[in-house]
Amino acid sequence: MKSKQNRKVRGVVRHWLVRTLWAAVFLLVAVGTNAQSGILAPASVVKPRAYVSLQPIPRGKQFEIAVVANIVAGYHVNSHKPTDPYLIPTTITPALPKGFQLVDTIYPPGQEKRFPFSPDKPLNVYSGTVTLRLKLTAQNNAALGPATIPLTLRYQACNDAACLPPVKLPLSAKVDVAAATAKSRSSHPEIFRDASGR
Amino acid sequence: MNRTGQERTCSARRSNSAALALAVALLAGALFGCSHANSLTSSDLSVSFNDAHGKDISLKLPCSNNCTTGALKGKVVLVNFWATWCDPCRGEIPSLIEFQKQNADKGFTLLGIAMDDDGAKVVQPFVDKTKFDVNGKQMIMNYPIVIGSDSVADKFGGLWAFPTSVLLTRDGKIAKRFIGALTPQDLQYIQGMIGS
Repeated sequence: MKSKQNRKVRGVVRHWLVRTLWAAVFLLVAVGTNAQSGILAPASVVKPRAYVSLQPIPRGKQFEIAVVANIVAGYHVNSHKPTDPYLIPTTITPALPKGFQLVDTIYPPGQEKRFPFSPDKPLNVYSGTVTLRLKLTAQNNAALGPATIPLTLRYQACNDAACLPPVKLPLSAKVDVAAATAKSRSSHPEIFRDASGR
Repeated sequence: MNRTGQERTCSARRSNSAALALAVALLAGALFGCSHANSLTSSDLSVSFNDAHGKDISLKLPCSNNCTTGALKGKVVLVNFWATWCDPCRGEIPSLIEFQKQNADKGFTLLGIAMDDDGAKVVQPFVDKTKFDVNGKQMIMNYPIVIGSDSVADKFGGLWAFPTSVLLTRDGKIAKRFIGALTPQDLQYIQGMIGS
């Protein structure tokens, strides 16, 4: 009798688990896409992640932040140097805390691609995975210890048939500042080794 | 802007009774307005329709190109949401110019709603200067263009991608929504609604 009750309880729990799981899946899909059109929300097209080249970063030392951006298959974004002045370039902009200085921003070259809406004029775009790099210096007045560098990735995405509004995606890089004499080690060499940025 | 529109703009400026304002208006007209075929008018374009819930919507949108009083009244209207940064939008403009040319005297008009964040500052030079290859002829946009915003797009049921076109019946009801550049089949559908 008791085991029959246990089986019933387990059945009800399983039923609710399955229902909850399906609801979560539905919610995730609904948030990422427009249910009516099947078109992705602009912020869902690019998944960026920031990596730092040194841990910790000794004061006075130059380091890099790489933003590895995965662009959803079937979509592209304009490169940093689009073929037309009206097109919106992809940019990465840091909001530097006191004691950090931006030395350079390195954008990978785009790829010339033709699309059904622009058959005669190829566009310079990013697709797949691209890496944008910031060269920075932690100055002698940078606060010691952990710090967050906020970044804004701006892009404008299209698929083969339509475009999405431009979007500014916030992300951040976590750094750890140490004394000028501190030892540091390279972090994520597989990302920073590739000088081409792609 | 067509000839009537130019005259209307200049006339409105002259109607100001204050002498100083008149002088400024005339000077501004001489410098920027009356001599230019696509100048930004000081007038708004009235757009009235029923939204998806049947609610009467009436908007006054800043005009950028080719706006005349009653430009939309009693017509089949194809509202085309576009932006200067949108390549597929620009790609379909030659076919829109051609479609407007063929159907303007059949109770139809296109209405371009430009959605650039920077509004007229960006849209006006584009509309004024950009020529499109329409069957070998260099043509500028020949239909009304107004400056839109997200709240305007929301009145039409929201905007997820560019270009998006919304077809309004002669009595201002939303008949169909097209996401992406219009296909020949889409234009055929619209032609059917206009009648030949």
